[in-house]
Amino acid sequence: MNLAIRDVRRRLARFVGTAFGLGLLLSVVVAMQGIYAGMVDDATILTRAMHADLWVVQRDTHGPFADGSRLDPSIEARAASVPGVKRARPYTYQVIQREYRGDTMRIALVGLGWPDDAGGSLPIVRGRGLAQAHGEMIADASLGLAIGESLVLAGEPYRVVGLTKNALTSGGDSVAFVSVGDAELVAFDQPAEATQLERSRTVDRLRRTDLGRTQPSLEDLLADPKWRAPALASPPLAAVLVDADAHRVAGVRETMRSWGDVTVYSQDEEETLLLGGVVQRARMQIGLFTVILTLTAAVIVMMVIYNLTLEKSHDLAVLKLLGAPRSRLLGLVLQQSWLLGVIGYAVAYAIGELFYPMFPRRVLITSTISLVAPIATFAMVTLASLLGLSHVLRIDPARALEG
Amino acid sequence: MTDAVRAVRLRKTYGVASSAVVALDDVSFSLRRGSVAALLGPSGSGKSTLIKALGFVSPAEKGQVFFDDRLVVDDGVAQTDLSRLRRQHLGFVFQKANLTSFLNARENVELACELGGKEQGRRRARDLLSYLEVVNREDSYPEMLSGGEQQRVAIARALANEPTLILADEPTAALDSVRSRSVMELFRKVAHDRGAAVLVVTHDHRALDVFDVLYEMEDGRLRPYRGQGA
Repeated sequence: MNLAIRDVRRRLARFVGTAFGLGLLLSVVVAMQGIYAGMVDDATILTRAMHADLWVVQRDTHGPFADGSRLDPSIEARAASVPGVKRARPYTYQVIQREYRGDTMRIALVGLGWPDDAGGSLPIVRGRGLAQAHGEMIADASLGLAIGESLVLAGEPYRVVGLTKNALTSGGDSVAFVSVGDAELVAFDQPAEATQLERSRTVDRLRRTDLGRTQPSLEDLLADPKWRAPALASPPLAAVLVDADAHRVAGVRETMRSWGDVTVYSQDEEETLLLGGVVQRARMQIGLFTVILTLTAAVIVMMVIYNLTLEKSHDLAVLKLLGAPRSRLLGLVLQQSWLLGVIGYAVAYAIGELFYPMFPRRVLITSTISLVAPIATFAMVTLASLLGLSHVLRIDPARALEG
Repeated sequence: MTDAVRAVRLRKTYGVASSAVVALDDVSFSLRRGSVAALLGPSGSGKSTLIKALGFVSPAEKGQVFFDDRLVVDDGVAQTDLSRLRRQHLGFVFQKANLTSFLNARENVELACELGGKEQGRRRARDLLSYLEVVNREDSYPEMLSGGEQQRVAIARALANEPTLILADEPTAALDSVRSRSVMELFRKVAHDRGAAVLVVTHDHRALDVFDVLYEMEDGRLRPYRGQGA
């Protein structure tokens, strides 16, 4: 006769209610783990999707994601000329925020070196890569844009031609990919007011110089459209992505290291920079929060099981007096703890399936989490039952004989 | 008939030094199989302490207890697995029925059968409930049973393992006089029909004719019952 099941049957509503509460608690613990895993995946998916052997960035920076990086565009040609390099691609990265359909839309805009890089390595789930240098965009599905839909940036429409899945930054922003040229247009787009203000500042500076004072006609030149060209002929890149022959990657890297104006990272180092810099603090915060939640859950389970055992003290004393083996009474408490854990985990799983997809940040339940969560729950309820088990051992059977 | 239980010079003290109370003072006692004995005496005289010592729940510090002529406790030290002895050879009936609250009437008896190593526990439990005329309440939980019904189920549970010795501690305290006598007669029937030794602690003097042997305790000492006012 299974005493644990008999006892649960008698107190079914309360037991299930308790297990449901535990399930809610566990679902929060698992969600925290999933949010962390999602954050790590989001942080690295952007670098992994580019499939580059080396990331060339501005010297002494951790760019382009963890830090700002400005590279002279000539680096692309310089990198391509290094023996062993198969391909060098320009890369830009910026986060923009626009109003769209009445909502605020944050986009991490990545510039791809079209036509060499048309986005073929990206996780495109619908549509295609970029087929032209201007006016096309590959957007992540989380932006809510449909294939064929146009988004206006810097006064120009960008038609969505492809959709990716889970292309997000470590900050949770959805990524859109355009050509480097288009990305630079968006980055250096200036409204007319800004242009006028800049011209006014230039005139002021000119008037403060001897040249400006002695040759006022120079001010007229500033009104000429050909003098209003941007100060920089070519805007800087965030990085240059290098694909090299497999056996020559190290050599290529050594060559580039000797250049005074760049720092070179491997794919793994780039990911480590992201995880160590951008995600580290969030990771620690979530980790500590998860530990506190797990301990809280363990203490609650411990008290629940202890109270369930305490309520049965007299029954347990009677059973001891009747000669019930100790193992059987300990089994009663342990089995109830495990049952509580099983139902709690099932509830947490169901909650996860139903509600995690609705979370604003991606909750990624990895295979490790799927494996560790039930084992950790089992360990937790087993440890939590220790207080109840010690109470069982302390119960004096003589207590059953006392009125 | 052989002695089901025999106690020799039991001594048990509660407290220490000047506050020590002697609960059992050189108590010797024996009870044969098939006989039913009553143990009377005022509160605090040591009756429950003797029941606990004979039931191997709380052994006396001094003296020996023999069970079926086998030394089981010697100067407070167990000579065998007392839990096993209780579940296989002893039956208990308490002042309150003390049924397991989360088991129904049949399961309470069935569990005792199982603990006592008796096969076909379910059928045996139903037979015992039938013998005690409560089989119609077999699916009821203790809280749904009357005091008398609970006590009958408790007696059925005490019989489940075919015990050699049944110890009953004021089993009729919560019952009216008619039911009280009925329970006492039941003990006599059990002792005579099944060959068990039954020791009943009671304050009820109205049914003493049911018993084969009468004892009384006073200040931790045991002696044959001399009648009221003696």
